[in-house]
Amino acid sequence: MKRYTYLWLWQLITGVLIAVLLGIHMVMQHLDKILPFFGVDLGDPTSWNSMIERSGQAIWAGVYVALLAVLLYHGLNGLRNVILELTTSPQTERAVTWTIVVTGILIFLWASYVPIALLYR
Amino acid sequence: MKVIQPRPNQLGIIGWFYAGNYKLERYLYILHRVTGLGILLFLVFHLTATTFFRIQGEEVWNAAMGFLSNPLFKAGEYLVAAAFAIHMLNGFRLILQELGFLMAKPVPPIYPFSDSLRKKRRWTMAFIGVIVLLCVIFFYDFIIGGW
Repeated sequence: MKRYTYLWLWQLITGVLIAVLLGIHMVMQHLDKILPFFGVDLGDPTSWNSMIERSGQAIWAGVYVALLAVLLYHGLNGLRNVILELTTSPQTERAVTWTIVVTGILIFLWASYVPIALLYR
Repeated sequence: MKVIQPRPNQLGIIGWFYAGNYKLERYLYILHRVTGLGILLFLVFHLTATTFFRIQGEEVWNAAMGFLSNPLFKAGEYLVAAAFAIHMLNGFRLILQELGFLMAKPVPPIYPFSDSLRKKRRWTMAFIGVIVLLCVIFFYDFIIGGW
């Protein structure tokens, strides 16, 4: 029972981290027409030049990989909680848990490759 | 001796949506779950776009961005932004209440019954107000950005 309490505690901690990291991401990507009112002009954040300039900086690669890691934990743990409401069987629970752990690791390896590869391009 | 089997204390998939006699916070719970799963689904598409198309160079990237500037995708993008605002601020409220803030003192279950959330519901309403404000700000940005 104890380890589930820790899963929930990490759900709260990653939630706060996501609010900060994804907050940066959303303000930059989706409030880019409003930011000039506050004297910050990023241009078009989805253009190739803007994107590739950010990709060359280690700090952005770090932010993206960290955001990916906390998002995957938070999202997949939440999904696991939703699915496990449907069953009380320990076998099903183990199967669901391991499927989700493996899925999370695979997505992390796949998606963290690109920001790291683009650093060295 | 007759063994009484306890009724399984779960509603199955109906329990995901059925709120029964519960109040506002229970509907926020459903909204929290729907937005969370929606964002997780979006993440899969988003990661596909930002890995396969990004690594292949400028032309593929521009073609992908051109394809995604379709008004339908823009509307979907706005829904994700709104879902983010809802999930983040409701999650913030959940964390505060998990830690015991923004709640009244618990009282014994004696008639007339009262729950400790109801007395501080104005805080929940304040959070909903901030959510609406953020959704309007995102909407304004999408509108002046040109669909």
